[in-house]
Amino acid sequence: MLFLDDLAFGFSIALQPMNLLYGFIGVVLGTVIGVLPGLGPVATISILLPITFTLEPQQAMIMLAGIYYGAQYGGSTTAILVNLPGESSSVVTAIDGYQMARKGEAGLALATAALASFFAGTVATLIIALAAPALAEVALKFGPADYCSLMVFGLVSAVILAHGSVVKAIGMILIGMLLGTIGIDVNTSVPRFTFGIPQFGDGIDFAVIAMGIFGIGETIANLERGEEQRSLVRAALKLWPSWRDLRTIFWPALRGTILGSALGVLPGGGPVLASFSAYSVEKKLSKHPKRFGHGAIEGVAGPEAANNAAAQTSFIPLLTLGLPSNAVMALMIGALMMHGLHPGPQLMRDKPELFWGLIASMWVGNMMLVVLNLPLVGIWAKLLTVPYRLLYPSILLICCIGVYSINNSALDVVIASAFGLAGYVLYRLRCEPAPLLLGFILGPLVEENMRRALLISHGDAAVFLQRPISATFLVLTLALIVVLAAPAIRIARARAFKES
Amino acid sequence: MNIRNSSDLLTAILFLAVGFAALLYGGEHYAVGTPKRMGPGFFPALLSIGLIIVGAILLLQAIFDPDEAVGKVDIRPVLLVLAGTFLFGLLIEPAGLLIAATVLVFATRLADRTFSFVETAILAVALMAVTSGLFWYALGLPLRLLPV
Repeated sequence: MLFLDDLAFGFSIALQPMNLLYGFIGVVLGTVIGVLPGLGPVATISILLPITFTLEPQQAMIMLAGIYYGAQYGGSTTAILVNLPGESSSVVTAIDGYQMARKGEAGLALATAALASFFAGTVATLIIALAAPALAEVALKFGPADYCSLMVFGLVSAVILAHGSVVKAIGMILIGMLLGTIGIDVNTSVPRFTFGIPQFGDGIDFAVIAMGIFGIGETIANLERGEEQRSLVRAALKLWPSWRDLRTIFWPALRGTILGSALGVLPGGGPVLASFSAYSVEKKLSKHPKRFGHGAIEGVAGPEAANNAAAQTSFIPLLTLGLPSNAVMALMIGALMMHGLHPGPQLMRDKPELFWGLIASMWVGNMMLVVLNLPLVGIWAKLLTVPYRLLYPSILLICCIGVYSINNSALDVVIASAFGLAGYVLYRLRCEPAPLLLGFILGPLVEENMRRALLISHGDAAVFLQRPISATFLVLTLALIVVLAAPAIRIARARAFKES
Repeated sequence: MNIRNSSDLLTAILFLAVGFAALLYGGEHYAVGTPKRMGPGFFPALLSIGLIIVGAILLLQAIFDPDEAVGKVDIRPVLLVLAGTFLFGLLIEPAGLLIAATVLVFATRLADRTFSFVETAILAVALMAVTSGLFWYALGLPLRLLPV
């Protein structure tokens, strides 16, 4: 068992005191910025990049990796407690996690998120150790057409997220994708929908939209309801999962881990796509899909496992091929290059202490996150007993500071306010915001890959059907549409018969 | 059931308005190109048309099968919460965090009918201390605390 030797070697590196220390710093820092809405790993890592130059390469990588998955972890805490997804991958967790918190199960939701993430982290570490090169090869087989079809499949499955009108959910996805086109077009460098405002050139930041819609919009809707009917979170009734809960979350966590490990390897929206699809899978497989959106524990366990697994396996293309799968990974490449290291296939051979040390440190870091966060569950749940009249101004203030600090741009706060109004309007129209956010994140990736695929095929759309991977996803998409449409058609027919 | 206040109808109008606005504005400013060489306008036009179709379906649904009414809008929280965050954006740079935070806390607390001056003042002071300690001191964000 060669990989066990390699892993053991990795642990001997990761458990060195200095590496443990930097891993710990990274994980704590990551959790803090994850809990605080608006602050994200990209900004934090960019700020810390110059500091890492003074560290050993593996210390730097272990710390930066800790920030990355720590932030994802912290993001779910805020999503569950106050329905504020600070990271794009915790949008899904907010759906059922927050509903659990409202039912007085905040502690249970947080513990579920922690345990599912840890489980996923453990499995993903083993997967990386066992199959990193093989998985990287699979990722290389994905051409633009395949990727485009995968994204379309992801978007269509996002419709399952909605527990209201399917038609409205599709509209929300499209509006999200339209918002995603704002900014300078990558292919032609034409500024689109920027209305002459230079700051719009880079597009709108995810956090600005999320804070506006979830933070500001939801607060307005809550205040409007008046004191008696406010969606007050009940004091925590249940802190720890029982054996029955653990049995319930095991399979969703396992399915989420598998989905996440696979999708994380692909460039782009790995963790986001993973958490959305894990939720869709759980809702489809559940015997009681109606519970989803009203605090289903599976709706927390599956997506949380998926996004954590994906966060881990998104290191695979970086370490084995030297390809960054997202902005954080691109910064990691920067950190490696500052030390004169070029990530790629040779890294595993030339710098085994870095490669295996980093992989082992991910498991150690996940362990630290659980040890750090499980005792905090009780304290976090207590936070919810603060009266709403004191809580909401605090949430709004932290949101605004967070939004401001993304680019030190006061305009971002003003835009977030505008999205607050939009969020309130959508709330009153019973349009759910989660599909809009998914469209916003995946839209630009769909466009880029569609254009690339058609450019290669000289404008022949048949390329999407000729490539086997792409065709598979399109068939799956079609099947999904049929499954989604069937109940609606049945209801419509029943009604038509009744009327006639 | 009064169709004019139905959430489906209003959503349909919203989708159609956004769809047509994006289609017309995009059509005027951005080249569509061909599938082989897509212009910057191709994808947005595709999305706008999709949104218009979805809006039209929703419109039909609203006419033949109206859903629940949206109900009344309470303008007080809408205006005051938005005023609070909007003013925060305007004030954060010229006036600094402390003033911007105070304005935000007071405006958003006024949005609620349980406003009490003393309690809000205490909350504002506490939040100023916590946020400046956390964001400015501990995390070292480039924020200004006081006016220039």
